[in-house]
Amino acid sequence: MKPKHQRLLLALIAVVALVSAGLIAASALREEASYFYTPTTLAAANVPPGKAIRLGGMVQKGSIVRAADGVSITFIVQDQERSQKVAYRGITPDLFVEGSGVVADGRLRPDRVFVAESLLAKHDENYVPKELADIDMTAAENTQNTVSQ
Amino acid sequence: MHRFANPARFLRIAKPLTPALFWLGLLLTLIACIWGLFFTPTERLMGDTVKILFVHVPSAWLGMGGWTGIAIASIVQLVWRHPLAGVAARAIAVPGATFAAICLITGSIWGRPTWGTWWVWDGRLTSMLVLFFLYLGYIALSNASSEKGDTSRVAAVFGVIGAVNIPIINRSVVWWESQHQKASITLGGSSIDTAYLVPLFIAVVGFSLLFGALVLMRMRTALAEMRIEARMRRMAQG
Amino acid sequence: MPHAPFIIASFAVTGVFMTWLIVSSYLSMRRAEASADALREQS
Repeated sequence: MKPKHQRLLLALIAVVALVSAGLIAASALREEASYFYTPTTLAAANVPPGKAIRLGGMVQKGSIVRAADGVSITFIVQDQERSQKVAYRGITPDLFVEGSGVVADGRLRPDRVFVAESLLAKHDENYVPKELADIDMTAAENTQNTVSQ
Repeated sequence: MHRFANPARFLRIAKPLTPALFWLGLLLTLIACIWGLFFTPTERLMGDTVKILFVHVPSAWLGMGGWTGIAIASIVQLVWRHPLAGVAARAIAVPGATFAAICLITGSIWGRPTWGTWWVWDGRLTSMLVLFFLYLGYIALSNASSEKGDTSRVAAVFGVIGAVNIPIINRSVVWWESQHQKASITLGGSSIDTAYLVPLFIAVVGFSLLFGALVLMRMRTALAEMRIEARMRRMAQG
Repeated sequence: MPHAPFIIASFAVTGVFMTWLIVSSYLSMRRAEASADALREQS
């Protein structure tokens, strides 16, 4: 191959890399928008049971119920206005805790319970050592107790 | 700026600077890794996987900082015709691409236990992958072009245009509803506890010094190759 | 999920990539500068 042709080929590869990078980004972001629901939009959208959708929101405090088998759980996802019951079987990610953000892929059952096939938990921007967090929690609980008393 | 334009003068500075940056960078990197691995507390939610922070964040910083360097050097090359700027831009490309790759891989490994997935197509992850592809494109282009003349300017223009992606990566977590959390360290302060922040800072400095040493090594390689080429040409003529 | 494999894998990937980068950059620098010097001695 002549050096000139080689240069042309490599320039072409660079252009293809650039264009495909842009296309990947565009399609990824558009797809994300088309089937993403929050409890409020899900309630309004009248999605048929069995259709694959994605549900996002916050895990309601105190709503996580672990079944006796150790792998099945149910919990409630909420946004500012509404909430949606979710059932899931499997290992939950480390960041899946009450009050954290969650994104679930799955389908609605006919009884309107959302059956998740996968769970994504979100992290907030805080990095806190475990011992410190425990101290904070106890401190917060103590203040609460004092206030309620 | 043209004080450093003379390659001989540049080499007089670069030759002692390379080992200095390298050894100091290696020392700080090792300290940060050992500190991070063995002497940091478990995190409240993610437990021990927080230790991945100490390789993931410096790599992300260098992946993005690398392209910023390419863009600045490319502008200097295009506007002032500074002879070393093009050499510097090319020298950054492979280290920058490698750190972008390390950032993507360690992020993916971190995502599996904490988020529950190896990959999501959210704004941050996608724009970082785009950065990696831009590096590959830039490397292909700059290998294709000769050291001097119009073809090397094509790579420089690509380097400047590609810089559009850098603020996109930075803002991605704000602009789009994303899986990746928002910035922990901002001008206003940090939401990372000091127990992690200090070794993280050492890691960022250590990685950056190593990056500097790598760029100097690759610039010296390019300059030596240019000297060889020039001498060969003269010998062929004489 | 056990955490150790994920932590080890991340540090291993970083270590291997950085070692490769440093060794290859250093070797090619040594080679290029040595042959440039050799050429200068010759002429």
